[in-house]
Amino acid sequence: MMRHLQKYSPILPVLLAYGVLLGIGLAYPGKWQLIAQLAFYCALGQAFNLFMGMTGYVDFGYVAFLGVGTYGMAVSIYFLYDKGLGIGLIFIGLALAAVFSTGLSLAVGAVALRLRGAYFAIATIGVNEGFRYFVEGARIWNGADGMIFSRHLRKAVGRETAMTLSTQWADILVFGVAVLAAILTLVYMRNKVGYALTALREDEDAAKVMGINVTKFKIIAFITSAVLAGLLGASAWALKLTYVYPEDVFEIHYTVEAIIIVLLGGAGTLLGPIVGALIYGASKYFLAIVLPGFQLLIFAPIIIVIIVLFPEGTVGILKKKIRGTALEKFII
Amino acid sequence: MIFEQLSGNLLQGVILGGVYGMATMGLSLIFGVLKVVNVGHGAFIMVGAYVALILFQTLGIAPPLAVPVALILGMALGMLFYYTAIKKLLKGPELASLLATFSIGVILEEVCKQLFTSEARGYHWGLDKLDLGFTVLPYSKLIAFGGSILVGLLLYLWFHKTRAGMAMRSVVEDDEGAGVCGINVDWEYALSFSIGIGLTVVSGVLLTMFIPVGINPYMGGSYTLKAFVIAVLGGLASPYGAFFGGLVFGLIENGSYTLFAQIPGLEPFAMTRFFSFVMLLVILLIRPTGLLRTK
Repeated sequence: MMRHLQKYSPILPVLLAYGVLLGIGLAYPGKWQLIAQLAFYCALGQAFNLFMGMTGYVDFGYVAFLGVGTYGMAVSIYFLYDKGLGIGLIFIGLALAAVFSTGLSLAVGAVALRLRGAYFAIATIGVNEGFRYFVEGARIWNGADGMIFSRHLRKAVGRETAMTLSTQWADILVFGVAVLAAILTLVYMRNKVGYALTALREDEDAAKVMGINVTKFKIIAFITSAVLAGLLGASAWALKLTYVYPEDVFEIHYTVEAIIIVLLGGAGTLLGPIVGALIYGASKYFLAIVLPGFQLLIFAPIIIVIIVLFPEGTVGILKKKIRGTALEKFII
Repeated sequence: MIFEQLSGNLLQGVILGGVYGMATMGLSLIFGVLKVVNVGHGAFIMVGAYVALILFQTLGIAPPLAVPVALILGMALGMLFYYTAIKKLLKGPELASLLATFSIGVILEEVCKQLFTSEARGYHWGLDKLDLGFTVLPYSKLIAFGGSILVGLLLYLWFHKTRAGMAMRSVVEDDEGAGVCGINVDWEYALSFSIGIGLTVVSGVLLTMFIPVGINPYMGGSYTLKAFVIAVLGGLASPYGAFFGGLVFGLIENGSYTLFAQIPGLEPFAMTRFFSFVMLLVILLIRPTGLLRTK
């Protein structure tokens, strides 16, 4: 039993990091927004890493999953607010977010996951734009006019609860998504899925020859990563802001942020996305004060520097340094 | 009535499609020689659009005369990015070069945002129009179309009639063999990357004839998507395939716009963009090697 649990000891530093973050947020309410933003980046990085880090495929249209997740929550609150469901709306919203993101990931995955390398990137790069123009073009869910549902949420659960939901529970849910993503990453890493994906990342043809059903494992990782993104969109965007506009939620620069976070921390590691999110989130926060508007201009060259000089990322380098020490069990 | 409208739009589609084709040749050339997908492709088109805009507005230089400036600037940018980033990533996993070209695109967008703000701008060349009865063609668009065909022809002649062009083709066929025969493969890579970027920036100049007010730092994204559709239509690694792919795409885009406009309740502009994305997925699903490829 003990040996079995030891496999999962790397989750401890992750939980510790999230615990400390949450603790700081609760102790200093003035910094809650910053903490919430960092938690969002952690969750985004963890969810993105689950597919990109483990398979080595980059999904440039990743933000589309956050977008449809946001719409999942929005649709639930906007259309069902007068059905007397109360707080149940939120759960329906989360469920819809998961359903929408699964649906989109199946549709995209059916095409993209058959393709390798460059072709995969080409297939995914338009997903966010494509879906945005679908929503606007076919005038689905009010099209380009978006949905504003703060009034609906207040009517459904009352003013006080609506307030707490969007100012506190939305952020707590983001922490929840981050923890869930970390746990799933570790479980995958320690089981067949992870081994298969590692084999596939190193050499897809060899993995196939060895009898690994690479498509199946790619789909598992793709859908998991997409659903996590959907839940993240539902909580961090829909529930927190109580409005949604297609041009905001299908904005490619969130994909850029996810890539930066994962690369900074180390693709394919468990702790990497957290380290990357903290470095990125904190520096973006300070840059926004010192040099507003320059964040992407500063971070884009950093991506190039990292892939040319330090492709393993922070945690990747750390892992090499601590090989053979007692820390090895905890940092992966 | 609708047929007149449709045939007018299709003619416009061919003309725009020729320029689209030229705008994709650089992408195909780079993929064909280096096996690198330039995910930041659209950003270079945007750079070309600003070259045309700035030269016209500040110095009064007509867009066709901006072409050499764009070519030199594009080739210089190509060399710069090749030697600082791409060269070191050629042997690495595909992920690395994808992320690098993506970041290069973001850098260009952000630099242009700082230089020119993110406000959408445009210029008016003020040439006459050719009235054909069922549709009206501005001469500026015809010049852009002619220019695209000329560039395509020059590229063809360069590839087939000059030693330098043949050397580059030999690298496409077999880079090790070319190296053994005394061709400097690394230089061919650098040259084709820089020519590819140069062509793309030039196409940005020509495309400004079609977008009267749409020049902004983030305009490239939709062109990246279109270029990918066109490139896979024509076979990703073939610059001439890209040219014909562009013609086909221009026809489909304008044709579908006309048809979407007939359906009430739809936004034809947004639906056309959605349609080009769906087309990309469908082509990748049925024939990722390109529809126009016979082999």
